[in-house]
Amino acid sequence: MDDLKWMLVDFFQALAAGLLVGGTYGLMCVGLGIIFGVMRVVNFAQGDFMMLGMYAAYYLVTGFGVLTFLGPYAGPIAGAILAGPIVFVIGWLLHRYLLGRVTGARVVSAEAEGHYAQIIMTLGFALVITNGGLILFGSQPISLQTPMSRESWEIGLIFLNQARAIAFVLSVLFAIGLYLFLTQSNLGKTLRAAADNPIAAAYVGINVDRSHRIAFGLGVGITAIAGGLIASTQSFQPYIGFDFVIVMYAGVVLGGMGSILGAFWGGLTIGLVQQMSTLILPYQLQNTAIFVVFLLIIFFRPQGMFGRIWERT
Amino acid sequence: MLKIRSLDVAYGGLKALSDVSLDVEEGQFVAVVGPNGAGKTTLFKTISGVVQPVSGEITYKGQNLLAVPADERAQLGIAHVPEGRQVFASMTVMENLEMGANTRKGRERWADLLPTILELFPVLSERRSQLAGTLSGGEQQMLAIGRGIASAPDLLMLDEPSMGLAPAIVDAIFERIQFVHRNHGLTILLVEQRVAEALESCDRGYVLETGRVVMEGAHDTLVSDQRVRRAYLGM
Ligand SMILES: Nc1ncnc2c1ncn2[C@@H]1O[C@H](COP(=O)(O)OP(=O)(O)OP(=O)(O)O)[C@@H](O)[C@H]1O
Ligand SMILES: [Mg+2]
Repeated sequence: MDDLKWMLVDFFQALAAGLLVGGTYGLMCVGLGIIFGVMRVVNFAQGDFMMLGMYAAYYLVTGFGVLTFLGPYAGPIAGAILAGPIVFVIGWLLHRYLLGRVTGARVVSAEAEGHYAQIIMTLGFALVITNGGLILFGSQPISLQTPMSRESWEIGLIFLNQARAIAFVLSVLFAIGLYLFLTQSNLGKTLRAAADNPIAAAYVGINVDRSHRIAFGLGVGITAIAGGLIASTQSFQPYIGFDFVIVMYAGVVLGGMGSILGAFWGGLTIGLVQQMSTLILPYQLQNTAIFVVFLLIIFFRPQGMFGRIWERT
Repeated sequence: MLKIRSLDVAYGGLKALSDVSLDVEEGQFVAVVGPNGAGKTTLFKTISGVVQPVSGEITYKGQNLLAVPADERAQLGIAHVPEGRQVFASMTVMENLEMGANTRKGRERWADLLPTILELFPVLSERRSQLAGTLSGGEQQMLAIGRGIASAPDLLMLDEPSMGLAPAIVDAIFERIQFVHRNHGLTILLVEQRVAEALESCDRGYVLETGRVVMEGAHDTLVSDQRVRRAYLGM
């Protein structure tokens, strides 16, 4: 009897952990999803922008201690949120001076050739950011240890790590906020129009390059916030982006490339799979489980589980 | 209002327009007719700035239009209703119209233009929250025209609004276009393969063949011209 009880507790513990982790994965995927949705560019450096978000939060909170006055909870939260605008600006500038040359209205007609240039450029970003990170931050793993990283809230027999629970709530709020921005605000609608039909967008006076720049900045900024939130829950080094790139691609493909809500659910599902797999698989095989699910989805439902909002026709 | 002088446009090495000159006066209805591949769409794309000319001039309200980036030309009061509808398929009918009103003037006049558009095309009113991609071809064409009108343009450019539509719907759409022209004093530049319908409603017409203007003139001159009657009007 007791055995069954502890099996159930383990199950619900893994389920809770999966949901909490998955929420933040969901936000990360939304960042990648908006870039793909608006620009049709697969950003291979997305994980590295997440890494920048982690270090931004770290330096704001512990490194330079600018935010210590906010206390043990608000400090790291503010650090994670501020990582967003910082990385937004970096993304904006990279698009303005580099990526914008190989994307946008001018290259829409160049189809294949345009895509090669984009792939090579975002791969280049990934290499430069990772190695720049090694030079600037060093290869030593660090972590943003705060009281909330260690404390848990208990619900019955289930423990919810505080940092992860807070990260989950904020991730959901940011994802909802972004969704409302895209569907309700005028700027958000022009981004969708530029994604839907770049030529017609130009005819109605939308600057497609500017839309792309905003989408790229937003996409990397959102993922950086997810990174900033994760920084309180685990240690990291400049190579960490690579681990999360797999999570992000799996989530975005699962959700149906181009759908923002889908990307969130995709990321959430990946988190669940990853944590639930620890019930039956050794801890080291977590990411293998993600891959297996990823392959199954590609095989049986290549359009993703949730369809596409930008390509429903 | 719009003055085009010896415009040359080429794709790669292939010439699509050579030495095209064209005038549209304020308040006029001007039609450009010609067979497939004559360069009609190319002409429109060059006016909108999506295609760059090799040489020539385009002046709009006295301003050198070629110096203005594509996305700012809509702000000057030029609305381009593209060939093949090109609505924002994944957005609703209302959102499409809102995107049309993305210009400064369009936003100012949204409150009085929206009812006008919905009255002009009542079907859009019924389907306001439907995704544009799921509309029928005729409905999409009406939406594309509505989107153009929503920008509160001074010059409405229509590229083959009859494309792929049943005759009854084409008649309805032409009738609406004439209505807008007459009742709202909108200047119209229309490109068409349906020569009879297009020439019937225009003040002035141009015949484009393989990138050249082969004939031009006022409505009466063109419809009574023997060559036009034989080649295009089947008389
Ligand atoms: N993007 C392009 N690249 C290369 N050639 C093009 C391109 N667009 C048009 N052309 C060529 O330019 C010429 C004029 O095309 P255009 O689309 O302007 O004709 P049109 O008069 O609009 O024809 P239709 O009545 O069939 O729409 C054609 O020979 C076409 O093949
Ligand atoms: Mg054409």
